[in-house]
Amino acid sequence: MGVPFVPIRGLAGTDVFKRRDDMMIMTNPFDPEEDIVVARAQNPDVAILHGLKADREGNAILRRHGEDLVVAQASRKVILTVEEIVDKVSPDDPDGTYISTINVTAVSHAPFGAHPTGCPPRYEMDKRQIKEYLECSGNDEAFQAYLDKYVHSHKTHEEYLERFGVASAAPR
Amino acid sequence: MTADPPPNLEELLAVLLSREVRDWETSACGAVSHIPATALLLAEATHAPHAQIIILGSEEYGRNLGKDFHFVAQRGQLDLFFISGIQIDAEGNFNLHVIGDPDAPDFRLPGGYGTGLLYYTAKRVLLFRTEHTARTFVPKVDFVSGALKTPDKIKRPRNSTKVVTPMAVLTWEYEAERWALESVQAGYSVQDVQENTGFDLLLPEQVPTTPEPAPQELHTLRTVVRERMIETDTYPEFARSGIQQA
Repeated sequence: MGVPFVPIRGLAGTDVFKRRDDMMIMTNPFDPEEDIVVARAQNPDVAILHGLKADREGNAILRRHGEDLVVAQASRKVILTVEEIVDKVSPDDPDGTYISTINVTAVSHAPFGAHPTGCPPRYEMDKRQIKEYLECSGNDEAFQAYLDKYVHSHKTHEEYLERFGVASAAPR
Repeated sequence: MTADPPPNLEELLAVLLSREVRDWETSACGAVSHIPATALLLAEATHAPHAQIIILGSEEYGRNLGKDFHFVAQRGQLDLFFISGIQIDAEGNFNLHVIGDPDAPDFRLPGGYGTGLLYYTAKRVLLFRTEHTARTFVPKVDFVSGALKTPDKIKRPRNSTKVVTPMAVLTWEYEAERWALESVQAGYSVQDVQENTGFDLLLPEQVPTTPEPAPQELHTLRTVVRERMIETDTYPEFARSGIQQA
């Protein structure tokens, strides 16, 4: 949106509000009888998002659910990884949410790039892997071991995918 | 003919919650809300066929983005919303964040997401909890994820706020600023409820027993609703394992 803050309804009186310095209560400038919470804009330097497909101009289709488009619109730079590169994506693509190239800095082809999370309707999350991830994220040592086993031990994304037997199913 | 099995915990709560859904209104539940989702579909299949239903994350009932649905609520057009909490306190706060000191928690939960906003913006809120114990109903929550008391000049609709548990239905008395005992589930006494609540409830002279799930409600739940949930991919695993087959 490119504005410094937005008014929001709610959160006053919660510990979420009390513990953050990016929200405060102000009087509605158009109605002195009303107070409202305002939240400072969040503008990430870089957003990295995974989508379904992108075309040669950088237009893309993001996952249908979630707030990826809003994140992209708020960020200074946007890197998209996508399942597939096509000649032209359509704003009417029923598989997901269209994002225009004016919001996109760079695109990278990464089939199964969302693994172990899902990228519907292409594939669902890998529940076994997510379970292991959760178990290992309880402490630093176990998490380091997880990273060594599944991330640092592979030189390329293809090697990572081969380990899970999904590379052969990747779109070509 | 053998009698239908009695309702399990989830079925009981789903039936009681469904009765609060009104026809022609807009009622919604968030993500990870299998019991409210069941309640919404049961209401639609029984007394509220024209209800507008939103089940966040559902392909069929999702009505798209979370953002959209928050805007409906902010415009004052969301009639009913369901919220659970690991703790609910005497002041009407609920906690979905942490148990213990927030800076060094004993136990960390996924957090409140939009509930701190929707507790403000929905016209009616139904809190629910799968247990009724003094560890849930505490004098003061460890972390306020949603607050019922509102600074004076902040606008907030105030129709009703209730809590439904396996033991009782509590309702917030806005004048007294306290929870009152509205009704007690069959098999429990007023004393049971007070003993398992970590603060004093307002007790009317006569506390009615909540009507038990009727055979027709359970039958619809276990046939039409169960099938609909599996068919529309709305918590299908819960529908298969948590709702008994008629």
